[in-house]
Amino acid sequence: MTHPEMDQLYELYALGALEPELAAEIDEHLATNCSYCMERVQEAADFAAALAGIAETKKPPKALRDRVLAGLGQARSSKTWILIVAALSAACLGLLVFSLVSRTEMSRMQSQLIVLQGERAQLQGAIETMRAAERNQLSLVRSERDQLQSALTIIRRPDTRSIRFGNQNAPHGWVFVNRAGGLVLVGAQLPRVASDRTLELWLVPVTGAPRPAGLFRPNAAGDSLHTSSLAVNPAQFKAVAVSVEPRAGSSAPTTKPFLLVPLG
Amino acid sequence: MTSDPGETELIDRLQKRDPEALAAAYDRYGQIVYSLFLRITREQSTAEDLVQELFLRVWNHACQFNPAKGSLGVWILSIARNMAIDHVRSAQTRFATRLRPLEQADRVNAGAKTSAPESVIDHARTIGTAFASLSFNQRRVVELAYYEGLSQSEIANQLKEPLGTVKSWMRSALMRLRSAIEGGAVL
Repeated sequence: MTHPEMDQLYELYALGALEPELAAEIDEHLATNCSYCMERVQEAADFAAALAGIAETKKPPKALRDRVLAGLGQARSSKTWILIVAALSAACLGLLVFSLVSRTEMSRMQSQLIVLQGERAQLQGAIETMRAAERNQLSLVRSERDQLQSALTIIRRPDTRSIRFGNQNAPHGWVFVNRAGGLVLVGAQLPRVASDRTLELWLVPVTGAPRPAGLFRPNAAGDSLHTSSLAVNPAQFKAVAVSVEPRAGSSAPTTKPFLLVPLG
Repeated sequence: MTSDPGETELIDRLQKRDPEALAAAYDRYGQIVYSLFLRITREQSTAEDLVQELFLRVWNHACQFNPAKGSLGVWILSIARNMAIDHVRSAQTRFATRLRPLEQADRVNAGAKTSAPESVIDHARTIGTAFASLSFNQRRVVELAYYEGLSQSEIANQLKEPLGTVKSWMRSALMRLRSAIEGGAVL
């Protein structure tokens, strides 16, 4: 491809709308560090980024800014707090020594010492709170890991059956069932539920009422992995279903299931 | 609101993990990325989740950003767009491309020239105005490429239109948008 030919393609390239073979050809050329093309690609990248403007402008809620910044508090290391406490402790000690030397300042220093000690106690309290939050986070990660291991154990069994459900742009995924014990639901594009609601999985028997098989909530992207140790014998159960239920779950569906996956 | 630092200062402070710098970045780019995510998801709560995730990524990866390779705004909007594309794609694709946003943002930022810091927001506003004047088909092909990351042949398949027609709509649409930000007439 010549430069004039590539000039016609850079915006599509930056937009990702170019056919793969043409994009590969441009990639290959850029690998030669052609300064002319590098500059054109940068211009095209600026243009592609500015296409964000095609979305109608909406003001974000004011609280979102606080939420974004508060999220950093969890990302930042608690080492900063530990250093602050250590510094304050050193300051307290220094103050104490100084007060022994200068008796006339003793009373005032003691007052300041009390204030500093109070602040130190407050910071230690804040550290404890952060540590508790970290323990909760760790516990959550471990729980997710255990659930993933449990799902893999069920899926790897040779007698586990897999059923695919749904289509793109709608709830879709896989259900894995094992008659000896094990049920896994891997779902995508599941509906988001309000904070006081949850999704509940049901085993639908050949005869009789659906049986609860666990509560779960999809993540922000609508993905979810749910496992259960319930034995699922296809001779006894004809389908699995999912409905929206109150947060504590229900013993029988209170809304019409939005997902029904036949096991047959 | 924080004071609005210059681009170089903002990047420097972000890389030194100054929370005020992220607040400034949010003040500068928060509205445009929120609008983008809201347009994609049509759900306020999901859009808010994505905005929070985006700025957490910016915070965690700011040290990897090389200002010599492009502007901060282009970098942030590239990540946001790729997050949006991942959101609309199937779970399978999303899982397979979880690490793609930053990688792709690097690739399109591979040029040697740094754009003016404020220009990407100004250009986005201009493009927003110009976009409204495009024909329905021109808007449709640009939206499918931008929001869903589809190639022209994929767009042709989805719209059940000849590839040549789609290319023609896309070419004329991009030309008009480009012309708008270059100060030319939007025909």
